Amino acid sequence: MSNNIVVFGGDSHPELVAKICENLDIKASQVELGKFSNGEISISVRESVREKDVYVIQSGCGQVNDAFMQLLILISACKSSSASRVTAVMPYFCYSRQPDIPYTAKGAPVINQPGRNSATTQRPGEDSSFKSLNSAIKNTISLERKGATADAERVQAPSLTASKSLSRIPMIPGSKLQNSHTNGDAEDLFNAQNAGYKLWVVQAGTLIANLLTTAGADHVITMDLHDRQYPGFFDIPVDNLYCKPLSQNYIQHNIPDYEDAVIVSPDAGGAKRATAIADALELSFALIHKERRSQLLKGPPDATLTSGGALPVSQRPLVSAPASSGRDVRRSSSSSSLGSLASTESRFVQTTMLVGDVRNKVCIVVDDLVDTSYTITRAARLLKEQGATKVIALITHGLFSGDALDRIAASEIDKLVVANTVPQDETVKALGKDRVDIIDVSRVFGEAIRRIHNGESISMLFEHGY
Amino acid sequence: MDSDSEEMSSNSIKLLAGNSHPELAELVSKRLGIPLSKVGVYQYSNKETSVTIGESIRDEDVYIIQTGYGEDEINDFLMELLILIHACKTASVRRITAVIPNFPYARQDKKDKSRAPITAKLVANLLQTAGCDNVLTMDLHASQIQGFFNIPVNNLYAEPSVLHYIRTKTDLDNAILVSPDAGGAKRVASLADKLDLNFALIHKERQKANEVSRMVLVGDVTGKSCLLIDDMADTCGTLAKACDTLLEHGAKEVIAIVTHGIFSGAAKEKLGNSKLARIVCTNTVPVEMDLPIIDQIDISPTLAEAIRRLHNGESISYLFTHAPSA
Repeated sequence: MSNNIVVFGGDSHPELVAKICENLDIKASQVELGKFSNGEISISVRESVREKDVYVIQSGCGQVNDAFMQLLILISACKSSSASRVTAVMPYFCYSRQPDIPYTAKGAPVINQPGRNSATTQRPGEDSSFKSLNSAIKNTISLERKGATADAERVQAPSLTASKSLSRIPMIPGSKLQNSHTNGDAEDLFNAQNAGYKLWVVQAGTLIANLLTTAGADHVITMDLHDRQYPGFFDIPVDNLYCKPLSQNYIQHNIPDYEDAVIVSPDAGGAKRATAIADALELSFALIHKERRSQLLKGPPDATLTSGGALPVSQRPLVSAPASSGRDVRRSSSSSSLGSLASTESRFVQTTMLVGDVRNKVCIVVDDLVDTSYTITRAARLLKEQGATKVIALITHGLFSGDALDRIAASEIDKLVVANTVPQDETVKALGKDRVDIIDVSRVFGEAIRRIHNGESISMLFEHGY
Repeated sequence: MDSDSEEMSSNSIKLLAGNSHPELAELVSKRLGIPLSKVGVYQYSNKETSVTIGESIRDEDVYIIQTGYGEDEINDFLMELLILIHACKTASVRRITAVIPNFPYARQDKKDKSRAPITAKLVANLLQTAGCDNVLTMDLHASQIQGFFNIPVNNLYAEPSVLHYIRTKTDLDNAILVSPDAGGAKRVASLADKLDLNFALIHKERQKANEVSRMVLVGDVTGKSCLLIDDMADTCGTLAKACDTLLEHGAKEVIAIVTHGIFSGAAKEKLGNSKLARIVCTNTVPVEMDLPIIDQIDISPTLAEAIRRLHNGESISYLFTHAPSA
């Protein structure tokens, strides 16, 4: 490798950095990453980058905002130290999924969880008693666990009464409403107070792209962006690598009798991704469709279904969960008057239906991103109910936030196959070695870096991967 | 007709707040008599920040109150601020002012070593990229940071509020002002002029960041009530040592007065074990300790008045010398 290349790793995924460097046959360059006592990130670049081609590897996982700021500062430090080009390598691109509806099953739920109404409305400092940050954080974590469990129970017990299901909108500290709220949508909540204005969720994609460019990134390498449009947010080249060749390779070599398997997309949004794999391997395909209907379903759903049926999942939209407050409701809002929540009786019935035949088949559920794992575990249950013999989940980005791993461990997923764009040590620990296979993406990233550095074509990687 | 056209063109102040300092936002909101807008700032379980906007802010004059602090959350708060600004931009507001009482990363403002990042400049660029039109801050660590921006930066001073505090709550006749390091001499000299007091200086030899080795006192403090003045108290190592040095030199008592009471790391123990009679800070950042020696100065009237003046296009410089009465 030419001596003109410099690779820095952030602290989000050191293992992948080491592997990528191994593939490039170079050593990761020296950089000291730390924090000052006030929480500000400190960075000290130990090697000259003058006129070098610099690659900064940072995945958007763990404490996402810390990782992202670290990446920005590192890019900016290299740029201001006269690097000739700085490329941000983000195996998992944070903020790449932009939920447009608040708190639906599509968007990841906010961390505010049920059962901490009393604890949460106080931030440290508000009550004049000092809580060390550590204990506050532990507190948060334990509460989070509790909350997540409650959530899981809710998913498993669809008939849970509405009285227990509360809005996820965190209550405002000091507001009198904290105990008076009942169930209600985020939208109900806001609209009740503000008729005519529709609550909207900010789409941060363009911002993140612009921030990277501002910090000095000249080029971005990432993998399996959730939105195909995302590269359009940038004014710099974005190389979106694909995990698909690796996934196909895995299916062909590690799944016995894969010719009889069915590729399943856990939701309509992922249908294109899944059909691409199904087409390439000439496998049959099935789709799980989630539907929210505004009234109770009477009788079986659409007659065009080849198999499957309505599975009433919840009286309430799944993501609306008890409101909370707490240390997190510091993660609350500036709104001072959210108002009383309308107590709405169940207006929605969520049905999950399967399109396609999976009876006595091995099902390979393909998704690009698993975060809370509600979708994929629900899909696995449905597939087993419909007679699938085995469910294999094939995922690119396994974020597994909150209680996701516990949920997967308890689910019908027989095997989890996940790429190492984010660290998967916890996954292996939680599920056991036999139940998890890791697809190593370091060779693809290494080869992409090598090709970009040498000015060779990347598109060949899309076709063949490795 | 007149009233109609007025309605078309009028715009009003909208106050938004992140999660960094709700108490301060509430104080400013009360002072201005303008409720905080319905904006939700949440964290997803994957730790990404999410912002929801619950009311129309189109064509309004928006002020986003978010301070920089938090050992674990400083970057979360910064991202919240950036996303809030971006949200306002996409919601077609007329003007966005970031109200950042304590500017994050302000101390990383120079390339003091090879390849050291000038993060304060990066933060300035990020704010502008997000869509910020105007910045309102207080006691910037170095006023040159204003030069990092291509947009107006209104750097307010806590000095008028501090002067008021010193005049009303300390023993002025027997006081002497002390700067804990050479860098703060200018700040202290300015206060000393206005109060007609003497001042002393401590010279410290620093070997590493956040570590102080030796202190040399310049000036006589015997029998005096010393007012230690600094722009921020972080780990409080400097303050505790300066206090010891002053007492060794015969000071009667030592009161520390700082603008930004960040109090990170071992600050609580250091302050608890120190012989400081009092430590006074403003509420630019929330204080998460309950030590009996802590006293707070409320600077929300200054912020609120600055917001009012910015909105009405009035001069801000009056606030550099006058503190609005509480």
